[in-house]
Amino acid sequence: MTEHAMNKGILTGLRVLDFTRVLAGPYATRLLADFGAEVIKIQSKKTASGAETNTSGYFNTWNRNKRSVTLDMSYPEAREIFLKLTTISDIVIENFSPRVMTNWGLDYENLKAVKPDLIMVSMSGMGQTGPWRDYGAFGPTIQALSGLTYLSAFDENSPMGLGYAYADVVAGLYAALTVLAALEYRDRRGIGQYIDLSEYEAACTLLGPALLDVLVNHKDILPQGNQPDYMPAAPYGCYKCSGTDSWCVIAVCNETEWEALLKAMGNPEWGREEKFSALSDRKKCSRELDELLGEWTAKHKAEELADLLQEAGVPAGVVQNTEDLSKDPQLVARDYFVRLEHPVLGATISDTSPIRFTEGTTGDWKAAPSLGQDNRYVYTELLGIKESELSLYVERGIVG
Amino acid sequence: MNGAGENNSLIKGIQVLDLADEKASYCSKLLADMGACVIKVEKPGGDASRGIGPFWKDVPHPERSLFFWYNNSNKLGITLNLEKRAGREIFCRLLERTDIVVETFPPGYLNRLGLDFEVLNTINPRIILVSVTGFGGDGPRSNHKSCDLVASAVGGQMYVSGSPSTPPLKPFGEQSYFTASLFAAIGILLAIRKRNQSGKGDHIDISLQEAVASTLEHVMIRYFYDHIVPGRRGSLYWNNEFCIVPSKDGFILLTLFQQWETLVELMESEGMAEDLIDEKWKNEEYRRLHHDRIVEVVQRWTKTHTTSELFELGQLMHFPWAPVYPPQEVVESPQLRARGYFMDMDHPEINASLRYPGLPYTFSSVSLKRWRRAPLIGEDNAHILGGELGLTKKEMETLSSEGAI
Repeated sequence: MTEHAMNKGILTGLRVLDFTRVLAGPYATRLLADFGAEVIKIQSKKTASGAETNTSGYFNTWNRNKRSVTLDMSYPEAREIFLKLTTISDIVIENFSPRVMTNWGLDYENLKAVKPDLIMVSMSGMGQTGPWRDYGAFGPTIQALSGLTYLSAFDENSPMGLGYAYADVVAGLYAALTVLAALEYRDRRGIGQYIDLSEYEAACTLLGPALLDVLVNHKDILPQGNQPDYMPAAPYGCYKCSGTDSWCVIAVCNETEWEALLKAMGNPEWGREEKFSALSDRKKCSRELDELLGEWTAKHKAEELADLLQEAGVPAGVVQNTEDLSKDPQLVARDYFVRLEHPVLGATISDTSPIRFTEGTTGDWKAAPSLGQDNRYVYTELLGIKESELSLYVERGIVG
Repeated sequence: MNGAGENNSLIKGIQVLDLADEKASYCSKLLADMGACVIKVEKPGGDASRGIGPFWKDVPHPERSLFFWYNNSNKLGITLNLEKRAGREIFCRLLERTDIVVETFPPGYLNRLGLDFEVLNTINPRIILVSVTGFGGDGPRSNHKSCDLVASAVGGQMYVSGSPSTPPLKPFGEQSYFTASLFAAIGILLAIRKRNQSGKGDHIDISLQEAVASTLEHVMIRYFYDHIVPGRRGSLYWNNEFCIVPSKDGFILLTLFQQWETLVELMESEGMAEDLIDEKWKNEEYRRLHHDRIVEVVQRWTKTHTTSELFELGQLMHFPWAPVYPPQEVVESPQLRARGYFMDMDHPEINASLRYPGLPYTFSSVSLKRWRRAPLIGEDNAHILGGELGLTKKEMETLSSEGAI
């Protein structure tokens, strides 16, 4: 059995049926797997393409520490196998559009019938109810609908948004959070739970103060780039440094930091002008302030500036690209990047979990599974299906 | 200690002391929403995050910060000066009946007060301490100062947001605080589970920088696997899959790669497909290479429709299109309204019931609808310090005059 051992952790002993794809769902189940849950990812040859290609970097990053079985749901027998898997699992997570599980006869009521204290999470773009429940949504769709894309811009005529599918990660985090809360409840009360998680609403929670502002003050909010009005800080922004596409951020939140900034700059004369003397004044003429500061930063390397300012006690940092991140001394010192050996991809690198306990957790982590690598173990050893029967399933394409 | 969320029984019985400022006040809010009893511990006069806007009726005041209100609803509130001995003594007495402490002080601060994890652990071996800091508790930059802007920059978020002709762009709102809070709350529930088995508490160390770097989706993957340093592309998605174009009355996010022929038929039926009906455009590779031309033609068409027409039309064809909503339209969203996403919360001292963004999940066996607005400064001092800890009125007065509460 040792060849089948998973990484050990806080969640060891819990089994998760992972019926999710691409990012939002896999991010949630990766988190559970990182901490020792036995996550069984259900795939099929027909769908293992694109982001779900087992040997891609994308798949390997979001599916480490998981098992993989194949099951083609277009066969009626697959439903029976899925139900059997449910009986030996604690948690089922799926991120299909709302009709899919119901069409397969695998909605919560059906699953609960075979596993009464089951915790099930359905994570879809819009949630399981409402007029838009069947709408197609990817991370960027959700970001646009939530107001995040509109507000992340320098002006209202050129919306930009984030350069990646942030909302998927956020939905994944909420899914992991709700699963753990439901487990706490189940262990105390013996009662399972069906959780309806809406990625749209998850993204909206991250705009809470802005949405509340609209709701209670009945006003329009416009994008303000890096310098929102509500932020009690000046200077506060992103400044060009010497070199190509090189930038640093500086945030001065109080008078001590302002004095420290001036000192680090060698006390320029303009710094003593009346109009810059208090935070509220500086905020009023922040454009002029930014220009003066920008003239200084442009003469220096971003990294040297950030170090100099931090040394002086001013919050500052380099706008880091991926190469900077991979070499960042702080991240490297904290072993933020973890190396895992993959049978096809070789040595691979990914981010570790930012949830750090006193004891480390990555010692026995494994790369993502190959397609159906755990079929024999899961179907014969865990479910007790006979070898001959399994061969038949494989032959017919049900396990495939 | 029966808290504000006594009907919210999902994680009932978990007691949290929230010492966090804006960096992680959302962490214990997540737990309070699910039924934990959270006591916000502020310095006398109130936490500095009460100075962060926006404000109720746009009037800056510590009891009017919408930022504070949003991040601290469902919590109780006391004031305590940890820099005074009497304040620390009360804190230690509260610790005996506490499961979780969330803090955001600079690394070493609690140590100087004699309140580091080892000390807390001696008082209560089951205590779980969560520290959320800019760069984490160890490493060469652990003492560097941070805030959302710095975390966004050093975590890799800004470099890939914005356009090639603009400076890097910090995503709107305090995203690093929200994500760090989510990681921290997950860590807490993991630690409770661990404690149920071992009987021992733990110290969780969350770095804002790492929280940001852990939300970058394709960004680091493309560097590690394809040796690409992703840059800024404005509203155009890294793989050209999504772009934003103007409509008659706003902006719409489109994807132009799914069901190409359906899209072209749609545009052609209005006589606006131009040369996109040509055979060569059926080749996906060709479309990727000449993406600019597609966007040019498509925009001419989208500008003849309103955003909501395009949204409905697109979704009817199963395209994952979406309006680029300003927040004032988000709060009108029929989907959010139909699902009862917004919740009303009473603010008796201003005679108002205010509508808040709510919870993104529902649990079938538990109702989580009971809400209480964020605490006023020191609102629950009498109830918790007097009632729960049994301090006499006179003791309370002395503590107050000493500046301890």
